[in-house]
Amino acid sequence: MATVVEIELTREAVGRALRGRRIRLGTVAFQALLLLTLLIAMGVLVALLGDVARTGLPVFQERGTDFLRTGYSTLASRAGVFQGLVGSLMLMGFVVVIAFPLGIGAAIYMEEYARNTRLTRFINANIRNLAGVPSIVYGLLGLAIFVEALGGVTGGLTVISGGLTLSVLVLPIVMITAAEALRAVPQSVREAGYGVGATRWEVVRSHVLPSAAPGILTGTILSLGRAFGETAPLLLVGAKLGFIATGGGSLLDKLHGPYTSLPSTIFVFTRQPNQEFQALAAAAIVVLMAVLLVMNSGAIVMRNRYERRW
Amino acid sequence: MNEGGEEMDVRMIGDAATAEPVVAAGGALRVERHERADPDTAIQVVFDVRGLSVYYGDFRAISDVTLPVYRHRITALIGPSGCGKTTVLRCLNRMNDLIEGARIEGTILYHGVDLYDPRVDPVEVRRRIGMVFQKPNPFPKSIYENIVFGPKISGYKGDMDELVERSLRRAALWDEVKDKLKQSAMALSGGQQQRLCIARAVAVQPDVILMDEPCSSLDPIATSRIEDLMQELVEDYTIVIVTHNMQQAARVSDRTAFFTVDVDDEGHRTGTVVEYDQTEVIFTNPRERRTEDYVTGRFG
Amino acid sequence: MARVHFHEELEALELDMLGMGELVERAVGRSVSALVHHDDELSKEVVDGDDEVDNMYLSVEERTLHVLALQTPVATDLRLLSAILHTNLHLERIGDMAVNIAKIAHSVLDLPSSQTIMSHLQEMGDIVRPMVRTSMEAFGRRDLELCLRLHEMDDPVDRLNLGMYKEVAALAEDAPSLNWGLRMLLVARQLERVGDHAVDIGEQVGFLLTGEFREFTDASHPARSAHDAG
Repeated sequence: MATVVEIELTREAVGRALRGRRIRLGTVAFQALLLLTLLIAMGVLVALLGDVARTGLPVFQERGTDFLRTGYSTLASRAGVFQGLVGSLMLMGFVVVIAFPLGIGAAIYMEEYARNTRLTRFINANIRNLAGVPSIVYGLLGLAIFVEALGGVTGGLTVISGGLTLSVLVLPIVMITAAEALRAVPQSVREAGYGVGATRWEVVRSHVLPSAAPGILTGTILSLGRAFGETAPLLLVGAKLGFIATGGGSLLDKLHGPYTSLPSTIFVFTRQPNQEFQALAAAAIVVLMAVLLVMNSGAIVMRNRYERRW
Repeated sequence: MNEGGEEMDVRMIGDAATAEPVVAAGGALRVERHERADPDTAIQVVFDVRGLSVYYGDFRAISDVTLPVYRHRITALIGPSGCGKTTVLRCLNRMNDLIEGARIEGTILYHGVDLYDPRVDPVEVRRRIGMVFQKPNPFPKSIYENIVFGPKISGYKGDMDELVERSLRRAALWDEVKDKLKQSAMALSGGQQQRLCIARAVAVQPDVILMDEPCSSLDPIATSRIEDLMQELVEDYTIVIVTHNMQQAARVSDRTAFFTVDVDDEGHRTGTVVEYDQTEVIFTNPRERRTEDYVTGRFG
Repeated sequence: MARVHFHEELEALELDMLGMGELVERAVGRSVSALVHHDDELSKEVVDGDDEVDNMYLSVEERTLHVLALQTPVATDLRLLSAILHTNLHLERIGDMAVNIAKIAHSVLDLPSSQTIMSHLQEMGDIVRPMVRTSMEAFGRRDLELCLRLHEMDDPVDRLNLGMYKEVAALAEDAPSLNWGLRMLLVARQLERVGDHAVDIGEQVGFLLTGEFREFTDASHPARSAHDAG
């Protein structure tokens, strides 16, 4: 028979064992390392933002909101982001009207109605791939289809083409986030609905969608923010990098006319040899950040409101 | 009976000297099972389950189950885990339709109507055969909205407030929540949530209430309240309950079906019914050895 | 209150058992009366009445078993059901004793009797009948005092029973009288056993109330008694 090691169960021995080594070196070191990574990441961000703010702030100090109200000009003192803002907002309008309903609807179908066959799994995998495709490729797609092939409808290099291109770009992201939000709704809620004799649509509309709403909202607004910041694809589908005549004309004329976006405007500013334009670029970046901040805050507020209810 | 004139039998009771031997000379003592008539067979059959087999894809979960369920009775399905009790229960209101690859063989007649007839609408089935689940699952909405959802979608035109009160009273929950009907159902305790689910099921005015281990996530006091509630509800509804808790089946049910897992020659496992009888028979004098082993805890 | 049906069933069982107690108590009294007053009609009634007692016994027995199987009772409920089962049996036996006395009464109608012995038997009957009633009261009122008193009431019964032997021996001269006397010994024995059953019921009530089983009369240790045990 093997010898058994006697464990002392006296108060002193147990106390010693429980109190043990006060400092576990490994844990502390790891914790410090993680903190360091956080500080580095934060540091980089703060440095970037700080630099931009420092460069761009004088513009607002000099010109105030005038910067927001004037369009492009070769004169630094008269150039503003108005056309860029308007263009971006119109593009976002397209995304909201096209990508959101399509994306959410498709997600509902995939998650709630489609049967789990090889085909649906294949489609699902492909959607995830699409979300990772570089945005310039979407630009090429938009050029080929919306500008060239459907030129008669869209009018070619117009904000319609731009909006459609961005919608297609953002569509996979909306679908994925909406699908995740739907999947997060516990099956028990659906079963409860079926249990009292509801049809599939009644269950989805009355219980699944409201439960998934916070997640869907967050996802859609984040994707809106992404679309807002896209530059490369728009270059291919017509965002003008220069002066746009702002004559009269109906909305339809405007839609069929030349357009630009805020990121494109920033791009143009940075390409000017004149040093003053760098400050304008920084100021425009501040405007971009501000808009994104408002959008994301809106998302958080809306999500909190939905979540707080139940 | 000693009528006048008949000789009184003067053999004394308990006196060994005058007792006659019970065993006849040379004969063996034979004790036969005294068969008593089953009083339930005179009652209306709600579910006539015949030769039911359920497949999930190729897997045969249930084999050849025959089980008449009687009106205004609590029928309990007991047995070890994985022997198909919940599967049978979910067939009764076509909840298994929601599982991909599930199909049945055999018939289930509900008041004489084939439940799986292609013309039968499962939504209509579930309006008449309600279900309470293992883990309480109220909708993440207010108590009021939980109750009215079902009646609304089935076109109830009457007074909703009155329906809500009636359903909550029926579930013995009214007094506890009458002042907070607009508050979230998720703020209730587990036992209260389950009673809310019962009220929700009752609000659609079903004919049958199916319960899938309704007390398994509740503490003993909440369990006891729901068991008492069941015995009140059965006066108006027919109840079928799946339970892991044998003592619960003994306390609460009128009839009990004991399920087990059969393993065939190729090692395929499938669920079957071993014995189905009045509860007092199952727990005092079951016919089958396997039933006896299970209820006495010698099983496994 | 939870488990309403369970507790209602417990109450019903106890009530039925107490009712049985009333029946057998009356039967004992009537059987002694039938013997002492040579009342053959009464003897027949006692014998016939035992069917009802047996039916009640079976009913209580069966329902108690059902409750045990279906309700898994514990604590006081369990002890109550155990006490009911045992008491039920004691009461049925008391009923049988009454029947035996009645049958003996019938069989000695034509035999000469002795007044002394008759009065002693009447005396015994007058003690054991109240003992049965007291045991039922002790049960119904959950009264430990009454249980202990039963043991005291049993002493004179035992003494009277022992005294019977000498008195019957005195009849040895006359054959028919001896015949009668020997039967009266049997009656005394039956009555003495009724007393014992009543004491046993008291012990059951003691168990119900205290959770401990104590024999009030320990035959193997005659010196020790309920008084000493406290």
